[in-house]
Amino acid sequence: MIQAILDAVSLGGVYALAALGLGLVFGVMRLVNFAHAELITVASYTLVMTHQFPLVVSMVLSVVVASLMALLMELLAYRRLRGSNPATMLIVSFGVSVLLQKIYELVFGALPRSASVATGLTGTFTVGGVSITTASVVTIVLAVVILLAMGYLIERTKLGLQLRAAASDFQTARLLGVRSNRLIASAFVISGALAAVVAFVNVVGNPQVDPRFGLDITILALVGIVVGGMNSLRGSALGGFIVGAVLSLLNVILGNGRVYAYSWMFVIVIVILLVRPGGILSKFATKERV
Amino acid sequence: MSRAFEAAEISKSFGALQVLDNVSITVNAGESVGLLGPNGAGKSTLINIIAGYEKQDAGLVTLDGTPLDEYAPHVRAHMGVARTFQAGRLFPQLTVAENVALGALGLGLSRKIARQRSEHVLEVLGITDLEGIQAGGLSHGSARLVGLARALAAQPKYLIMDEPAAGLNEHEVPALLSALSKVREETGCGMLLVEHNVGLVAQACSRVVVLAAGSMIFDGDPQAALNDEGVKSAYLGDAAFGGGH
Repeated sequence: MIQAILDAVSLGGVYALAALGLGLVFGVMRLVNFAHAELITVASYTLVMTHQFPLVVSMVLSVVVASLMALLMELLAYRRLRGSNPATMLIVSFGVSVLLQKIYELVFGALPRSASVATGLTGTFTVGGVSITTASVVTIVLAVVILLAMGYLIERTKLGLQLRAAASDFQTARLLGVRSNRLIASAFVISGALAAVVAFVNVVGNPQVDPRFGLDITILALVGIVVGGMNSLRGSALGGFIVGAVLSLLNVILGNGRVYAYSWMFVIVIVILLVRPGGILSKFATKERV
Repeated sequence: MSRAFEAAEISKSFGALQVLDNVSITVNAGESVGLLGPNGAGKSTLINIIAGYEKQDAGLVTLDGTPLDEYAPHVRAHMGVARTFQAGRLFPQLTVAENVALGALGLGLSRKIARQRSEHVLEVLGITDLEGIQAGGLSHGSARLVGLARALAAQPKYLIMDEPAAGLNEHEVPALLSALSKVREETGCGMLLVEHNVGLVAQACSRVVVLAAGSMIFDGDPQAALNDEGVKSAYLGDAAFGGGH
């Protein structure tokens, strides 16, 4: 039972990080960046391809690569689409996603690449007679540390305040003089760094990286930001956590019926959205747009 | 070079509807100008053009002699033009203090200076008690005051206010007038006040411009406007002048 709770918190934390990365970009651009999946994937490939390096070096490289790729996405694809119809931006993000998947396929092959990353985290230890996986504890600690750091960045810094304002109403933030290029680029870079953290946790648990490696978690993180409230960064993180934790608990509770875990989770999501259509933290929805 | 914010010979049409016809308005540094007119007179279109939200068909907007037509609203904000909105347009999930600080942060100032400015303008407007409240929970009148505080935190050279007194009670309006006067004296900020409250404009402004059906029908002393027959017939009517609103 303890392990099940730890797993739920652990998976919830990972999805919270993924959702926060998506929420940051959505906040400043109203872009649902489906290609966030490919940021997770490229960070995962980086970890696998550099597994022979010291772990810290490998992790730093994955953060750098994912952040750079996020920045390139913004500069080459999304910058020209600012202010476009959200549907147009979504379709372009699908295009970027598919294009990158094919590039990964050409570069790394269609079959999974694997390597043992952070092997020290794959064991178990016993506390009070209860066997606990090291990975779940490390994941929780990592997610908590990153979320606290993000919390500090978002709540206590100038950049964070501007990001929160932009997430609430980007147009008004811009009218106040907020430098949109810098703010959006920052959001993409942070989003890439968060994708790298998510990649690390996932690769430790499943070091079989293929071109679609980041897809599932991104789709569920997207569900998370809708559940939490798309206009709120806190909502994005909370929604991601709920989706991850619920999915993990459903897998335990349903036992042999775990194949229906996704179905039940979406039932829960639908109920939440029926009660709060704007998401859990949608209390103060912006009512006026110019 | 004159220190003034000027819109000269502005014309604007939406399709076949001419909303502004050769309208000119000047706000000198440190001056407070009222912009009056009935609904549909073209006031909102004019301030949207001045602040850069809409583009005029003809005419020129200048800031201290510099043409502004090529500059977007956020660039104009950096150049010293701030505006408030009828609905406040606050960030509902942020506190009042954070909302106000953003007026200064947007211009690239440090968080520390922005916080100091936020505290100062909240004090000047007499709303320090709202500081920690989430803006989404404010009353309509308070939201307008906070919107004004945010604009003032940018310490603009020129401030465009869109009905700042709407929703304020009889105690809050004099306090607002006093605060605006204090800000003008402290900073030399030129102010353009768009209002329906004629009494307020008469008290707050040294000059008033009246629009009717897209044309400027008066530019001069507020008291003279109150007695101008053309203004009366076009805009307020005798009863409204007698009542001050």
